[in-house]
Amino acid sequence: MQFENENRFHIESDRKRRLTQAPLDAWVRIERLDGPMDDCRRLADLGFTPGEEISVIHTAPFGDPLVVRVRGAQLALRKREASWIWIE
Amino acid sequence: MKCHPQEDSPSDKQTRPAAICLVGMPNSGKTTLMNALTGGHFSTANYPGVTVSLLHGRSKPEFGSSREIVDLPGVHSVVSPSAEEALACAVIRGENTRVTPAAFVLVVDATQLERHLKFAGLVAQQGKPIVIALTMMDLLTRTRQQVSPEALSRALGAPVVPVDPRTGKGVRQLIETLDRSVALDPATSPLASLPEDPIAAFARVRDLLRESGVVTRSREIDPVTARIDRIVLDRYWGFPIFLLILIILFGSIFWAAQPFMDVIDSGFSWLGETVSANLGDSVPAQFLAEGVIGGMGAVAVFFPQILILFFLMTLLEDSGYLARGAALVDRPLAFLGLHGRSFVPMLSGFACAIPAVLAARAIPSRRERFLTIWILPLMSCSARLPVYALLLAALLPGAPLKAGLALAGIYISSLLVGSLVAGLAVRIFSKYRDPSLLAMELPAFRVPRWKPILRMTWARGSSYIKRAGVPIMLVAAVIWIITHFGYTPATLVASAETENSFAAQLGHRMEPALRPMGADWRVGVGLISAFAAREVFVSSLAIMLHAPDPEEDQNQQATLLEAMRKARFPGTDQPIFTTASMLGLVVFFFFSLQCFSTVAVVMKETNSWKLAAAQLVFYTGLGYGLAVASVQGLRALGVA
Repeated sequence: MQFENENRFHIESDRKRRLTQAPLDAWVRIERLDGPMDDCRRLADLGFTPGEEISVIHTAPFGDPLVVRVRGAQLALRKREASWIWIE
Repeated sequence: MKCHPQEDSPSDKQTRPAAICLVGMPNSGKTTLMNALTGGHFSTANYPGVTVSLLHGRSKPEFGSSREIVDLPGVHSVVSPSAEEALACAVIRGENTRVTPAAFVLVVDATQLERHLKFAGLVAQQGKPIVIALTMMDLLTRTRQQVSPEALSRALGAPVVPVDPRTGKGVRQLIETLDRSVALDPATSPLASLPEDPIAAFARVRDLLRESGVVTRSREIDPVTARIDRIVLDRYWGFPIFLLILIILFGSIFWAAQPFMDVIDSGFSWLGETVSANLGDSVPAQFLAEGVIGGMGAVAVFFPQILILFFLMTLLEDSGYLARGAALVDRPLAFLGLHGRSFVPMLSGFACAIPAVLAARAIPSRRERFLTIWILPLMSCSARLPVYALLLAALLPGAPLKAGLALAGIYISSLLVGSLVAGLAVRIFSKYRDPSLLAMELPAFRVPRWKPILRMTWARGSSYIKRAGVPIMLVAAVIWIITHFGYTPATLVASAETENSFAAQLGHRMEPALRPMGADWRVGVGLISAFAAREVFVSSLAIMLHAPDPEEDQNQQATLLEAMRKARFPGTDQPIFTTASMLGLVVFFFFSLQCFSTVAVVMKETNSWKLAAAQLVFYTGLGYGLAVASVQGLRALGVA
């Protein structure tokens, strides 16, 4: 729970996390993309749109990149990119 | 996205016939389809202004009248497109003056209909006939899905043809359907009226697919791919497996190629000798025998290595492993400012920098591609091998094991120094540091098919010959001329004596610069001639030192080593080839970009002389500076 200023109240579920915090092999729903403009628009074009369910199915040996299942495809995302994807 | 509608004048359109364009996302099987349509006979064509090439070809005669076909680069997204994507989009929109699309074949992966059909909107809006080629149908059974091409065709209002480009199944039907297809009407076609917003577009595609019952959707993961991925991406096993594959790859490049290289080498020597035996000693005959045929030999001798390299790379790519390899090494490479896919060119660089520069095309972002190309000359290419072999044999006489270890050290160091240069460069020019997007697709694992792989290997290999062949031969011819012609006050003469040649004169001029690195003008001539190809250093050193022709029981290296031991600075009894000076030469060859062919190919691939010139000056300067430093340093330490 947080107050942004005197007139504005902002509350959100603490269940919201970044994709980097998602458990392996679990389907999670994308809540929003939040990152550099062009990169996030590209991610959306690749299939990462809010509301879509995705799943992290593997991680490379250093924990980076992550292999994510989205709309029938497997994409390798760097941790940096995965951290722009917020999940519910 | 660049727009040049004003260039699209009618006269341009008439000069180039309209072509069938293959479009789609990367990994949809476009290029394999191109292969099946043209029988592997296509050529790459460069486009001015962008560092991208398109594949051009003509359809095989068995598919009816011959048609011009163009394979456009795959497009992930039209947002901040890479050079390849920008070119593909420009062609699709009809903004490119070189290619006018007559019709589109939209290649769609049946296992990823949503992602691939979203891109269809852009293509369908162009008012050109369109046929959807449905690939990867064979993979649907793995996830127990079904896709009905008929239902898909009804839902989209466009013809859909299932094809398997790897076997050629459905390709003829695709061509026949193309003849009958017409442009879609944006008013009625759901495909042509897809919204641009990705959320809305994906939702619309999903609704279309669901309503028409095209696909039995399943979230099940392809079990074959998942099982293999669990092993090859494993925390502990991932890297050992990757290393093992690299070792096998290297082993094949060096050992399996050797017999073929020997055959080609002796074949060209025989050809040269036959020509000079039959045409006599005239200058043109000698030029033909040594300059031209020798130059052709210099190109051909690397061909087996390059074919094996391309074959194994295509095999890894086709099976699906290559993308895993790139994902595994992405993290360390990203730290150096490179891309996961940079590992393919870096690896190829150990065979030859030229195919490596060509392979760098697979790297999506321009900055990472240029940085990869920048460090490629450091990778210890196989043309350096004969030079290192000679110098190490001279440095460590009678200790082949130590020489072998030293050679392994040189190879590993070249990788480390390359990493260092990339890491420093990306940090010094820190405004470029922001990394690009990886977001790389890991395709399903599949059993490779030999025919398309062999076709692809040949197409890539022959493109090497076309690209590198001409510059290497030209340089070899020029080097032959400057080492065989000289200028005396009276006339321009073909000199029998290499001592009077232009190269020797150049060597004498360079001598003040060569002395600090412990070399005389004869070594200088060797270094100049090595610009044709580095291994030429060995043969030209043999000529300059008057190493006798090997006798029956001796090999060439032994006589040359003997001549090197006897070599003295002119007028003194000071030996030239000391520990210090030979180490200096090793250092010089390690860094120096002594290969005009690489410079030429980098110029072509980057479409500018700047990067190539900077590389030439930087690496050759660095090599010289470090060679001088190590020779002087060793001498200061008392090592002669």
